[in-house]
Amino acid sequence: MTSAALILSLLLSFSGFAALALSLDRHHRAAYRVGVPKRRVVSLRMAGWCGLGLSFAAAIAAAGWNFGPVQWIGSLTGAALAVVAIIAYRPSWLRNAALAALPFAAAALPLALLK
Amino acid sequence: MAWLHTWSGLVVGWVLFAIFVTGTASYYRTDISHWMRPELSDSSSDPAAAATRAGAFLQKAMPNAAGWSVRLPNAENPAVEVYWWPHPGGPYHHALLDPATGEPARVRDTRGGDFLYRFHFELSLPPIWGRWIVSVCAMILLIALISGIVTHRRIFADFFTFRRDRSAQRGWLDAHNVMGVLALPFHLMIVYTGLVTLSAMLMPWGMKAVYGNDPLRYYAEAGLATPGVAPAGRPGTPLPLGELVARAAAAGGAVPEVMLVTRPSDAGATVTAYFEEPMGLAHLHPQIAYGADTGSEIARVGKPGAATRTGAVMAGLHEAHFAAAPLRLLFFLCGVMGAATVASGLVLWTVARVPRGADPEGFGLRLVRLLNIGTIAGLPVGLAAYFLANRLLPLGLEARADWEIRVFFAAWITAAIAASLYPRRRAWSVALAVPACAFLVIPVIDAVLVGQPRFLAFDAAMAVVGLALVAGSRLAARPRPAESRLVEAKLSRTVEA
Repeated sequence: MTSAALILSLLLSFSGFAALALSLDRHHRAAYRVGVPKRRVVSLRMAGWCGLGLSFAAAIAAAGWNFGPVQWIGSLTGAALAVVAIIAYRPSWLRNAALAALPFAAAALPLALLK
Repeated sequence: MAWLHTWSGLVVGWVLFAIFVTGTASYYRTDISHWMRPELSDSSSDPAAAATRAGAFLQKAMPNAAGWSVRLPNAENPAVEVYWWPHPGGPYHHALLDPATGEPARVRDTRGGDFLYRFHFELSLPPIWGRWIVSVCAMILLIALISGIVTHRRIFADFFTFRRDRSAQRGWLDAHNVMGVLALPFHLMIVYTGLVTLSAMLMPWGMKAVYGNDPLRYYAEAGLATPGVAPAGRPGTPLPLGELVARAAAAGGAVPEVMLVTRPSDAGATVTAYFEEPMGLAHLHPQIAYGADTGSEIARVGKPGAATRTGAVMAGLHEAHFAAAPLRLLFFLCGVMGAATVASGLVLWTVARVPRGADPEGFGLRLVRLLNIGTIAGLPVGLAAYFLANRLLPLGLEARADWEIRVFFAAWITAAIAASLYPRRRAWSVALAVPACAFLVIPVIDAVLVGQPRFLAFDAAMAVVGLALVAGSRLAARPRPAESRLVEAKLSRTVEA
């Protein structure tokens, strides 16, 4: 199921990029009116890179080493564009959107790994 | 290195925009072709019988041709597409045949998505000229991309930054950076692999040194084609084409995509069956060649070597034939972002050079501004006009396909000239409103004149493009913060005076 795999990669990299964006002072300020607290930077960055890593793992597991990297890079571009659009127009939605993507990703997981 | 990025991007920007837009549209080449030939409906037909009928048609059309090519019908392409040519260099004649009768199909004369596809790398110029111009532009784009990465020092800090509420220049710079950086893997891939697909033309010396003037031997040894067979010099009695289709289907495990007949009247004629590329990234076509008279297998394209496979993977990545609908949509999105990167860069050049206060606009700035509007807003007018012409031109018009292309260029040029007459302040919003209306009209015209439910998706896509252009037009009409500050400053000065 390549479409489910692609959607899974998209959702995971979206959540990952959202966490990375919120770890930056400027975007955290846009979302919460305050800069990002120092102790949350590390956890947000870890969560962000985990999201991107899981997205890569999902792409490889579902589509193999030939198509997986292509799908993953495509999903990175799509997800990052969505994060930029939300920051520019509705920054306060970013956190909830990133969290909401996770259950959908969990739902897409069995479909993606079904051969 | 900023100057290198600025100027390399500017000089080829307009051509690059057209290359990006038509190339991005080419991801949906078959869908465009289907929409532009509404008379052809999906119908299954026996490919072997259709091939025999196509062979009979070609025998009547040009018995002593240098070659015939027959694309067999399948679920995606219901008609039989045939080409025939008197000499290896052309001219190439073309027809679409009804698989059930073997006569030209009753279908409107159009080049469909193939026109946009070829424009993408030949710009409607003589092929060699077009390909060289496109290649030079691509090489300069590669320079612009790399110098852009070097110039953009805050690439990670500004990764998600798009400040739309600041000055016009800041907003355009952010838009340019975001579009460029987020799709950077795609941009680098597409320009590099694009150059690789034309590498045999750009760097022929290696092949020339080893193979001299016999490039066919190179293609055979590289595992890209079957070796040629010398002509026998006497007329032959070829088997029906359908018989060879059946043999190829049995030997190759699938119905071939194309049958290529070399020197059909000669006793040494060969028929090469081309199969669809196997599932994978590489763009490779397995082939089996048969003697046309005997029907025995002459040669088979074997397993290509590492270098050929590498090149084929690059061509495959560029064309993305492997991409199913969702991934194709992402490729399309990346292509749009490429066009947007070029367009925002071109606009940024003018925004950064707007004269302060009431100073007059210099010639260079005016020229770039008009070329920008003429290309960025003009090309969509041409595209919409091309689709509209397909529906509106009379079906019996002589050389109808050429007229569609004339309409494309006439509309683009008219839109570009008209843009120079618009008042400067409202030029962008008016220039974008024109293609917006044209794209929004397409679904309406299609619903009235053709009205087939299978075109709903295409019509919806046209409406989405139209709405995006409406949004662009409204955005351009909005007074910018910088301008409103300028107006305030002017007002306060007037008040002081």
